[in-house]
Amino acid sequence: MRWVRFAAFISLVAVLQASLLLDIIALPPFRSKPNLLLILLVFFAIHSNTTNAIITSFAIGFAADISIGYTMGSQTISFGLFGTALAYLHRVIAIRKIPYQALAIFITAFMTGTLAHFLALLRGQSAVSNVYSALLGTALYSAVVGPVFFLPAAWFMRIKTHRLSRR
Amino acid sequence: MARKLISDLGPKRDNVRLSSLSRPMLFTWFMLTGLILLFAPQNLTNDLQFAFARIFRWPLTIGKNISLYARTRRPAPGVMFDKESQIQNYIANLEEQLRQEHQKVVELSGLRDRFHALENAGLIMADVIRVYINAAQSELTINRGQNDGLAEGHFVLGDNSIIGTISELSPRTASVKLFTDPASRIAVRIGNLNIDRLMKGDGKDSAKIQLLSTKHKVRVGDKVMTRKKPGFLDASMIIGTVTQCKRDDRNPAFWDITVKPVCDIERLESITVIIMNPKE
Repeated sequence: MRWVRFAAFISLVAVLQASLLLDIIALPPFRSKPNLLLILLVFFAIHSNTTNAIITSFAIGFAADISIGYTMGSQTISFGLFGTALAYLHRVIAIRKIPYQALAIFITAFMTGTLAHFLALLRGQSAVSNVYSALLGTALYSAVVGPVFFLPAAWFMRIKTHRLSRR
Repeated sequence: MARKLISDLGPKRDNVRLSSLSRPMLFTWFMLTGLILLFAPQNLTNDLQFAFARIFRWPLTIGKNISLYARTRRPAPGVMFDKESQIQNYIANLEEQLRQEHQKVVELSGLRDRFHALENAGLIMADVIRVYINAAQSELTINRGQNDGLAEGHFVLGDNSIIGTISELSPRTASVKLFTDPASRIAVRIGNLNIDRLMKGDGKDSAKIQLLSTKHKVRVGDKVMTRKKPGFLDASMIIGTVTQCKRDDRNPAFWDITVKPVCDIERLESITVIIMNPKE
């Protein structure tokens, strides 16, 4: 893993996610937009070995916390947990085809969002009533955009996506 | 040759370093870090988020400007933008002050009373660093903080209308929770009705007022004013306009009122924080 390149890429995506630039493609009624950091979580869980996947999952979660997070730590834990789970799952079931990748993004997005919401509730810092509708919108949008975003991510990280293997 | 040698050695070196720590141990350490972050005092962890906003202020501002340029929004009925909305909001505030003055005169049977509104208040201008509006939260990050005398609960003005309150602080930056945030609760009054109701943000760039009986007449375009909050806001000020008024589906005896801001919050580049009792 090229860690300097990884750090630069995550910073770039975190800024992109935190800026209003993605609002251009936001969809009503909940202004749903794709969660690029979450797409990257799935990308690295699929295309890295398990040890690297654990590190990248927590690092991306931390980036999500400081850029778009509401309760510090909630995204670090949820991204880390589900990123690691996905990396271990990938050792058993290789997620190669685009529909499976989209499904993995959708499920991961929904589960990380739900866990982050519950962790925020634990801190007493979340009072959102329509959280599941908003989560569903983000998860669906991320699932659609995700496999497309894998291409620039693979190019930037110099990862050959066609050489998928269970590590 | 040397480069090839380094690239050959690089991954191996990484593997040696990482393999010294087992995967479960790595996971446990990271999880522990996450839990520490989660349960650490919020004023400490907020500094990380504020630092991010400060460091990447320039690209964040550019992103915001590009986004606003790309989107062309039509204002909701009764909502105007920019200079026109500023003047309209200023007039609405003056009208409200006049109405309150008149009410006081009537109540006190001719006794003179001074109405200062914001005369003695400290007004602090701040630039908007970051706008974060989605279904889950509606917040602004501004470049003023505790060092400038800001405190939680201070009301914030944008284009002469109330847009929210200060929610989190660091020495040099602060978060403004907009009244459209799902966690926001602000006491308001609609038009000339002398009844207080709680306005809750709905996360869709608007807020809701419920539990107001349908026997009261409410029309689209009615102005919504904040109630006084001693120590924080000594005068009612405009916060929004009614853009939709229908019977509540769950309880038809009450209105379900939608209120929109009277300024385009996402386009605000600077805001004003009201400090009612500034320290000399």
